[in-house]
Amino acid sequence: MDDHDHSHPHPAAADEAPPGYYEIMETAIRELLIEKKLIAPGEIRRQIEVLDSRTPALGAKVVARAWVDPGFRARLLTNGRAACEELGISFYDDTQLIVLENTDKVHNLIVCTLCSCYPRPVLGLPPDWYKARPYRARAVREPRKVLSEFGTEIPEDVEIRVSDSTAIQRYLVLPQRPAGTEDFTEEQLAAMVTRDAMIGVVKVNLEHRIDS
Amino acid sequence: MPIPFPAPGLNVVKALGEEPAFKAGDSVRISVRYPVGHYRVPAYIRGKLATVDAVMEPPAVNNEEEGFGRNAGCKGHYFRVAIPLTALWPGYAGSLLDSLRIEVFETWLERV
Amino acid sequence: MSQTEHLLKTLPNDIGGLPADRIERIDHELEPWEKRCHALADVLDFHKIISTEEKRRGVESLGAELIGKLTYYERWVVAFANILFQKGILTPEELAKKMDEVERRQAE
Repeated sequence: MDDHDHSHPHPAAADEAPPGYYEIMETAIRELLIEKKLIAPGEIRRQIEVLDSRTPALGAKVVARAWVDPGFRARLLTNGRAACEELGISFYDDTQLIVLENTDKVHNLIVCTLCSCYPRPVLGLPPDWYKARPYRARAVREPRKVLSEFGTEIPEDVEIRVSDSTAIQRYLVLPQRPAGTEDFTEEQLAAMVTRDAMIGVVKVNLEHRIDS
Repeated sequence: MPIPFPAPGLNVVKALGEEPAFKAGDSVRISVRYPVGHYRVPAYIRGKLATVDAVMEPPAVNNEEEGFGRNAGCKGHYFRVAIPLTALWPGYAGSLLDSLRIEVFETWLERV
Repeated sequence: MSQTEHLLKTLPNDIGGLPADRIERIDHELEPWEKRCHALADVLDFHKIISTEEKRRGVESLGAELIGKLTYYERWVVAFANILFQKGILTPEELAKKMDEVERRQAE
């Protein structure tokens, strides 16, 4: 998802398959609502641009800032939304944000068992596995098994804290800063922080470092 | 800095029912009931004992009513509650420390 | 609890704790129409024509069979249609005619 080029959202017309039933329904609903002046045509286009502008890189920027700036970290943990807005990340919906800090004692994991709540303003849209039955059904019941399927082992003396979103709060995991990164710049730190680390299914590792 | 709700120094006199019904640390039980059509309290936590972790401010509309198009009106509190996974799942195989956090609207919580 | 009672009392998407398969780390790049559908959902929520919560209820009320067979955004678009009918914003006939028109236009 991260490396996809979003500059050509519409495939060329020539090799396009005819639209399917549900695509036709989407187009028809949208056009009827525009004809009735309930929504404006530009609004959909603008919202697609907003959606395209949201990627895990924003969340990574938030995490890296929290790692280097204790004042920001404190504000982030007090009010996630306000701290993200400080960094210019707007919340285009009514959601709030609780940032969950991983420590030596607690490892956080986020899930939405009832639907697919996800911190979209800071991470973009969720991956399909996050919305699918196995993750949603199992994360609250056997989080350690789920984590091990992502290659993550958490010691027995560390609490796994699973947060299940049901209302207007969204969650973002603030992963632990790996040892050996003391000399890293904020940008180098941000490049190590993956989407999955901010969901809580993996830790941030030095190997995740993306050389830019 | 975020402005706490309500803003300090205003000496807001709250109307009946505006004060959160519970505070952090309170013991509560999730109600056992079975609404038909729509709900936002998953079945797996019903009837479980929980500890209030935090009061969610500001008050908000009950999302079970929002599901039917009511976007305004009477607001209430959501509470972020904690439940040990060992209490949720008999025979839980992980650590005794493992726990769940979930937000529950006030109408679903009973004082223990 | 009888079987039908259980079906009525438990929403199809209320699956926390139920048995499920191993996690496959699947993902796909959204089709253009899926992204438009997502943007439409957001815009409908901004105007509270259909709020996010109404959309969730709309999906649940499709029932387990449709929820199981439709894809994520297919569920959304069908839920939009049903909710817009319920609210009297669109009629089924209007939508059917418009869908025919869109199909003809796009076949040209």
